[in-house]
Amino acid sequence: MPLDTSTYNLALLRVDGRRWNELRRVHAQIRTQAAADGSSYLEMGHTKVMCVVTGPTEPGPRRGGAAAGGAGGGGVGSGGAGGKAEIVVGIVIAGFSSVDRKRYGRGDKRTLELASTVSNALAASLHTNLFPHSQINISLHVLSQDGSLLAALINAATLACVDAGIPMTDYVAACTAGSTSTYAANDEGADPLLDLNHQEEQELPGLTVATLGNSDRVAVLVCESRVQISRLEGMLAVGVDGCKQMREILDRVVREKGVRMIQEGTVEKGVGLGDIDMD
Amino acid sequence: MPREVDPSLNEKQFVTQALEENLRLDGREFDQYRPLELTFGEQYGVADVTLGKTRILAKATAEVTVPYADRPLDGIFTIATELSPMTSPSFEVNRPTETEVLLSRLLEKTVRRSGALDTESLCLVAGQKCWSVRVDVHALSHDGNLTDAACLAVVAALRHFRKPDTSMDAGVLTVYTPAEREPVPLSWLHSPFCVTWSFFGEEGETAVLDATWLEEQVRVGSCTVSLNRHGEICQIAKLGGTPVNAVVLLQCTGVALAKVKEFDELVDRRLTEDLKRRDKGGFMAELRAENDR
Amino acid sequence: MAPDGPLVLPGETIDPSLVPSHPKNPLRLGPGLRHIPPTDIVPTVAGQLITNPVKNSMWIEYNSNRYIPSPNDLILAQILRSTTDAYLCLITPYSAPATLPHLAFEGATKKTRPQLAPGQLVYARITPASANRHMDPELECVSATTGKADGLGPIGVVGTTSGSGSGSTGPGCVFDISLGFARRLLMARSREDGGVGVLEMLGGEEGGGLAFETAVGRNGRVWVGSESARTVVLVGRALQETDRAGLGMEGQRRLVKKLVREMK
Repeated sequence: MPLDTSTYNLALLRVDGRRWNELRRVHAQIRTQAAADGSSYLEMGHTKVMCVVTGPTEPGPRRGGAAAGGAGGGGVGSGGAGGKAEIVVGIVIAGFSSVDRKRYGRGDKRTLELASTVSNALAASLHTNLFPHSQINISLHVLSQDGSLLAALINAATLACVDAGIPMTDYVAACTAGSTSTYAANDEGADPLLDLNHQEEQELPGLTVATLGNSDRVAVLVCESRVQISRLEGMLAVGVDGCKQMREILDRVVREKGVRMIQEGTVEKGVGLGDIDMD
Repeated sequence: MPREVDPSLNEKQFVTQALEENLRLDGREFDQYRPLELTFGEQYGVADVTLGKTRILAKATAEVTVPYADRPLDGIFTIATELSPMTSPSFEVNRPTETEVLLSRLLEKTVRRSGALDTESLCLVAGQKCWSVRVDVHALSHDGNLTDAACLAVVAALRHFRKPDTSMDAGVLTVYTPAEREPVPLSWLHSPFCVTWSFFGEEGETAVLDATWLEEQVRVGSCTVSLNRHGEICQIAKLGGTPVNAVVLLQCTGVALAKVKEFDELVDRRLTEDLKRRDKGGFMAELRAENDR
Repeated sequence: MAPDGPLVLPGETIDPSLVPSHPKNPLRLGPGLRHIPPTDIVPTVAGQLITNPVKNSMWIEYNSNRYIPSPNDLILAQILRSTTDAYLCLITPYSAPATLPHLAFEGATKKTRPQLAPGQLVYARITPASANRHMDPELECVSATTGKADGLGPIGVVGTTSGSGSGSTGPGCVFDISLGFARRLLMARSREDGGVGVLEMLGGEEGGGLAFETAVGRNGRVWVGSESARTVVLVGRALQETDRAGLGMEGQRRLVKKLVREMK
């Protein structure tokens, strides 16, 4: 189904009624799984992702090769050598997550690439050098896909790592950015768009950005569509800005959960915890 | 499977330290490629790329098959990458390492998904017969920057390739041998090339092109940009690694465009040379008695 | 290759006139030659047949890719990890690790043994007792007879205090060279016998008197250290280029001059 992008110029509204710089509804929870060391659930629009973190633990028996991991999905590790914890990411994409009900096998290269990206992005933020000879297992489950999958995976993994209490430099927050009108139209007036849904992702050029905290430093930049080089700057600027918004949202989720846990008495209200300023 | 051996502490430290003093171990500038050589084989569609000590061989082939049921009007185009133990003992046949998966995805996104080859032109009879074009990429030796070399080899092989001519006459499909009719080139739309930046330093502030294997082992992050000479980005992949300032990334894309134009010229030049070499002066000249057998 | 000698192939018959005959010393066969009783001497590898009439010895000089440890070889090894009483070291990648006992350093006792991190380089000798083909080689960084390091030991990493031994400190890097070239560099008179003068030239007038130190490992690795990183890169490139292009004396002189001019 081709997306009718011509209507955008009339009302400056996108297919789902958003303006160019609006994120979709983001809903996130942490500590959803009692059994895990850290867990999270994240919705970005209709993209729904669950994440479970175990570790840092002693690595299990060595499995042959890097391509080992969660059942049905791909698993890829990074780090490991030289006194650092290895981050093993496994991604399971549920068969019912998208419209076409595709089966994703173990060796699916796209899934492996996603897993490797999440693993390498987090490796840059987590202080893995504090846990030599150990392993951090991140298991991601995709329940529903509606665009910005990689961004949702990175955000969910970050939240779960916060929940697991793994020391990290800052949040790694991700989102997507795109551009109105396709690559063929060398349209100078093309507007950048924030947070693409599935339909927009299919039709328009877009990229996924992940930044470290509030800085302009880009940890992940993935562009999989053809786009004029002149439009990269605009898209990147919008993407980085979106990541900052996303960081605020993730931060709020963590703080709200923290306050609730103190109220419920799960955590003793200690000396340091009283100083958390809520805004 | 033997594990990849890390470079020694001395090497790691020296590479980083030398880069801080604007020095690379082989004396190159930061934005300088190693000597790049491209040769074509006797057959159509064989390209051999050497980039310093890295060497890649790509071979394009075509056969007539049945198109996929969901895409009856498209031909089939696949890129197969293989990193064999010949390249490095840590690679194993039939068990793709992370390097191989990422390389094959990058080539897929750069060449196939960017629509460099017009797959509709490969269709012979809608829903029944089509060409299946396949490029096999073999890494013969690995001294870093497999991606850029492999991408160049794939593009060069496909542009050099000629598939047998065909004709449709009253519902009968005829495929001609090279002797009957001159083979025809593929319908090629644009030539994308990969340019890989490697980042060094605490905040990835030092960006270096065409890293050697040792540099690749020491780097803190990398970013592969694929462009064609018209300035269209086909894909960007910075898959994790130390965060790099967005401005630096934009500058890198700008420099990459200049490099891509150089690659494009190189491939064009080599193709013209190859054409000249093959051109024996027409059909009559080829039939002369004093020619080599 | 500088030394003269006929080229032989495996299984070839060696002309008896080439076999040195010495009145007193017994004939000694070196690498690549096999004695089939009663009188046949057959080469097992392709290479150049070298004979030494004074020592009454003969061997085959060849440039292989694979390093086979043999006793008393000086090598550059890389620490893999430490066990209770020894370090495991890699001599060549993808081969079985060699052991380097904690006490095989100059002046090392149970309390004062050097602490080496994984990945650190050591310049060591393969002990005379080990390195037969049936067991993993054992290394030592101290001479068993004198108890001195004689220049062996860990090669320092800037910012760490390396233990005993040569104690090189400045920046340094390792360069891969071919095994034949490493042997030529290690010859007692490398300029005359090996045909390698590039190091002397770099330190001499052609190179403008560069100050650097080297440690050549028979396993095809050479460490170059100097106060200035620029010099290290220059020396490393000169060595690799000489090896790759098989340069003669004149070629080496030109190369040194060219590199020095480029790197200025």
